[in-house]
Amino acid sequence: MRLSEIAQTLTLKVRSAAGHLDTDVLGGYASDLMSDVMANAEEGYLWVTLQTHANIVAVAAMKELAGIILINGREPEKETAEKAEEKNIPILVSRLPAFELIGRLYDLGIPGLRADAEES
Amino acid sequence: MKLSEIVEVLQAEVLYGEDLDRIEIKQACGSDLMSDVLCYSMRGSLLLTGLTNPQAVRTAEMSEISAVCFVRGKKPPAETVDLARKNEIPLLLCAHSMYLACGKLYSTGVLGCDDRCE
Amino acid sequence: MIAANKNLQFTKIQELVYELKVAEVMTKNLITVAPDTRMSELRGILRDNRISGTPVVDGDRMVGIVSVEDFITWLIRGGVDCPVGQVMSRKVRTLFADEPLVHAVSKLEEHGYGRLPVLDRSKNTLLGLITKGDIIEGLLQELQIDYHEEEIHRYRASHFFEDMIADKITINFHYHIHGKKIEQGGEVASDLKRSLKRLGIHPDIVRRAAIATYEAEMNVIIYAEEGRVDVNVEPDVILIEVRDRGQGIADVARAVEPGYSTAPDWVRELGFGAGMGLQNIKNCARDFDITSTVGRGTTLKISIPTGTKEKRCA
Repeated sequence: MRLSEIAQTLTLKVRSAAGHLDTDVLGGYASDLMSDVMANAEEGYLWVTLQTHANIVAVAAMKELAGIILINGREPEKETAEKAEEKNIPILVSRLPAFELIGRLYDLGIPGLRADAEES
Repeated sequence: MKLSEIVEVLQAEVLYGEDLDRIEIKQACGSDLMSDVLCYSMRGSLLLTGLTNPQAVRTAEMSEISAVCFVRGKKPPAETVDLARKNEIPLLLCAHSMYLACGKLYSTGVLGCDDRCE
Repeated sequence: MIAANKNLQFTKIQELVYELKVAEVMTKNLITVAPDTRMSELRGILRDNRISGTPVVDGDRMVGIVSVEDFITWLIRGGVDCPVGQVMSRKVRTLFADEPLVHAVSKLEEHGYGRLPVLDRSKNTLLGLITKGDIIEGLLQELQIDYHEEEIHRYRASHFFEDMIADKITINFHYHIHGKKIEQGGEVASDLKRSLKRLGIHPDIVRRAAIATYEAEMNVIIYAEEGRVDVNVEPDVILIEVRDRGQGIADVARAVEPGYSTAPDWVRELGFGAGMGLQNIKNCARDFDITSTVGRGTTLKISIPTGTKEKRCA
């Protein structure tokens, strides 16, 4: 499923790299711990977090993630949005809490990590 | 949904707690940041977290969360389990990612905690 | 959660057996007979009231007890009608109303009695009767009250303060935070929470005070190493002051903004420092005041009213 379709279906608002929503989302990863995302998220995955500081862009760029969704109506810090624009990392925002947003992504068929996904 | 059923859905290991079929869970919250959790009306709900230090249990104690499930297969240190025992808060451990654990629970009808105080 | 643990229930019952007084569970609306009540009437009295024995009272003094067993013995011996006073047991074990329930349990057990009369300790007059059934019922009721405490919203705090006589009442809790590791963070909040619960303050209010204190305590541990928490509980308000000698906050207004944080990554990895703490504290409080001097330290003052549910936090 493409990021643009997900954004439309779940009424997510785009805060950066609006021109890069055409990527295919391969899976979902949710974490608020940078080191965990660095270690475990996979390329092409959509990252769900409430962290808003600029480090998230660096992590997403390094791991080549499809994009970042901020939950609970949190907005990226100014520096974060600028960096994301520069590195072409889409940041989207949702009013929903993590549990609910993840639930809806999962319902859309966005899988979890490959190892786990075999069971689901 | 009973906590014992949640154990089944998540294929979780019970680290502490008994009579899990007597604990009813209606809502859940997934977060690695405790200040985020403390902001919800979480009484009687399940906390899914990758944070395994004692603060996860402290937060559950303060917010009167019914049970804590550690995700990503990260085993908590002994002091976390000790604190849970002291406060009678059941602890689960599941190998799934946060994403998959939340997704699976959501699709069985567990609700999110959207009653935020902001 | 309490219901989920057998061990806890067991200790709770043990606790209650010592805590509850005989007077709290005994039957008060007593059926009694007089010494000159006829034995021929006794059977009807026991049957109609579905009881297996009754105290024999002369005026306001208990002179004996008469039971179904006495009645049967009387029947076996011929059943010649006579006053109850001639058949009753005169040597009666009794309990005083102010004794703990555990005394009743051991006396009933020791002598195999089905019931024990309960007397007023000073006047020696009969107040009631206690049976094993009364004890079980009393314990179950008390446990149920425990479970539903939240639902029935018992404001014991107001009663607690009503019992005190003074122009101004303040209960002070003082805690010192020093050299604690992040892992120990929350001990102060946990102790405060228990203490406020014991005062009988409404659970919602206790939760708000605990969450606010927890966040403030974590701030002290992360940014200051040393600090003190002073909590003043007054009849209608809880005042919490957290003072530290840390590095101070350069821009207090920004620090309160949701999401703003100067926390290093290692703090974020421990689940804190996402810039929500002060916001959380603010949401739990009615009045919120923070003053800080860079290099000197920070003082946070909040108030939480005890009587109302004006905010939904926690």
